[in-house]
Amino acid sequence: MTTATSSRRLSGHRRRQRIGALRRVLLGALGVVVFLAVWQLLSTLRILNPEQLPSATDTFAQLGVLLRDLEFWRNIGRTMTAWAIGLVIAAILGTALGATIGMVPVLRRATHTVVEFLRPIPSVALIPLAILVYGLQLPAALIIIVYASFWQVFVQVLYGVADIDTVARDTARSFGLTRASQLRNLVLPTALPYLMTGLRLAAAVALILAVTAEMTIGNPGLGRQLTVASGIGNITTVYAIVIVTGVLGLLINIGFRAIERRTLSWHQSVRGDDAS
Amino acid sequence: MKKSLATIGLLAVAALALSGCTDSAADPAAEPSDSGAPEEVTKIRVAALPIAETGALWAAIDEGIFADHGLEVEVVPAQGGAQAIPALLSGDIQFAIGQPFGPIRADLQDLGVAIIGDYADSRAEGDDVNAVVALGDSGIASPKDLSGKKVSVNSLGAAGDLTIRAAIDADGGDSSTVEFIEVAFPDVKAQLDSGTIDAGWAPDPFRGMIVGEGGVSVVAPYQATIPGLSVLTNITTQDLIDNDPDLVAAYSAAMTEALDFASANEDAVYAAIAEGLDIPLEAAQGITLPTFTFEMDVDSIKTLADLAVKYEYIEKLPDFDRLIQQQ
Repeated sequence: MTTATSSRRLSGHRRRQRIGALRRVLLGALGVVVFLAVWQLLSTLRILNPEQLPSATDTFAQLGVLLRDLEFWRNIGRTMTAWAIGLVIAAILGTALGATIGMVPVLRRATHTVVEFLRPIPSVALIPLAILVYGLQLPAALIIIVYASFWQVFVQVLYGVADIDTVARDTARSFGLTRASQLRNLVLPTALPYLMTGLRLAAAVALILAVTAEMTIGNPGLGRQLTVASGIGNITTVYAIVIVTGVLGLLINIGFRAIERRTLSWHQSVRGDDAS
Repeated sequence: MKKSLATIGLLAVAALALSGCTDSAADPAAEPSDSGAPEEVTKIRVAALPIAETGALWAAIDEGIFADHGLEVEVVPAQGGAQAIPALLSGDIQFAIGQPFGPIRADLQDLGVAIIGDYADSRAEGDDVNAVVALGDSGIASPKDLSGKKVSVNSLGAAGDLTIRAAIDADGGDSSTVEFIEVAFPDVKAQLDSGTIDAGWAPDPFRGMIVGEGGVSVVAPYQATIPGLSVLTNITTQDLIDNDPDLVAAYSAAMTEALDFASANEDAVYAAIAEGLDIPLEAAQGITLPTFTFEMDVDSIKTLADLAVKYEYIEKLPDFDRLIQQQ
């Protein structure tokens, strides 16, 4: 009897979940359709000059042309390669430094001012320096990407490590847990949600900077293709590339949310999501 | 079931898309390396913006002129002095094609940058390569009408606004009342239409488009101020001149030949512009080409520097012997 009610409750819960998911998808699709319709109208009714904002249909037609061009796919590959390398370096540096500094209170206090000074420096301000050191090449772009995304991971890990529950820590100590065991059973579970948030933010920032670097430094990729198209007044290509960068950002976010869900399935923040 | 259907659909779409695939980066000139002995090839990186003037370089590369001199050129689309000069100094690129104003400023800061030859000059008479344009109903007809107006140039503090100032004052206007605004060439038309600027400095094809739609060409500032002024020059570092004179000599010889080829074969240049900028050939053919030459007219650069001092763009004259080292 108890199993019957619980399974019925479960199936009801599942159905509600499925309806919820369906509604989310429909609402999302509706949003996209309305957005495209408004865009098309703005241009067709000449509310905005079509020479400055080409219509949605023209832009997607141009996107279709681009998508059949191998060089365009290579550019996507180049941008995503820069993104991936930059993100990995930033993640490793941010995690290592964030964890080390976060766990040693003396270091944390000593670095606080320097961190708060360095963090707000826009990484694009370093572009002239990066070019001077590495020229118009990928490493120059990587400096910009890593600098911007590093702070996202670093600060999250720093706070994550500092967030350890004092009672839990005292308990661990009185139970005589070794340093390694404390790291695995106490520090990691506390800091992991922070790290995942940091990584998701860093992934988005890294994409923005990967494209920005290509636009200003001129290393090959989507950003450079956009600048070149804009320089010769090919505005539909510019908008088509903007759409592609937007889609890339969306995919990255979806991907990182999925990873977050999977790695943190045990955590309250994710479990709580399911219940609502 | 649903999933497999979706997969099949996706595959079908992909197959359809791929069957119509093109490759815009594919090399059209298939290996022109069948000329004589297998010489040693030096790879060089040259900064040049994707603009009509670069058509001469593209055409010469396609023609195999640089290959004949043992050079394999990679054209890097660097933006003017801000990117090209740091990249030169870093050694990442060996040569840059850019406006003479960048090296003048670099010389004043002792950066060790030198002009080794000319690349393109403005036209001394007839239609020039660029002009200040305004809308037909703006009431701006001559340079002095620009007094008190908003005028755009692509980058402030360089030859564009400098020669426009000189042209306005020479025409009896007052250039100190002009407000200069930075607007990229492709955006000039939009900014004119929206009224953000009263007039804008633009080269072809943008100048041609605006004039073709009823706009007026107010003045060609280069031609009016320093006829035949160098638009673009070949730039490198003192370091490279000192340490690799052979490379500089090979590049200079190739560039001399390339620019001679370009002035003798305008059709090849137009074809290269159409391909390089991805525009129709007819549009490319409407572009006014500059005079391509490697021989630097030092006097015109000196006049430009004098003007720059007069209008307080720079504090003193550069060291011309160091700045211009014609190869």
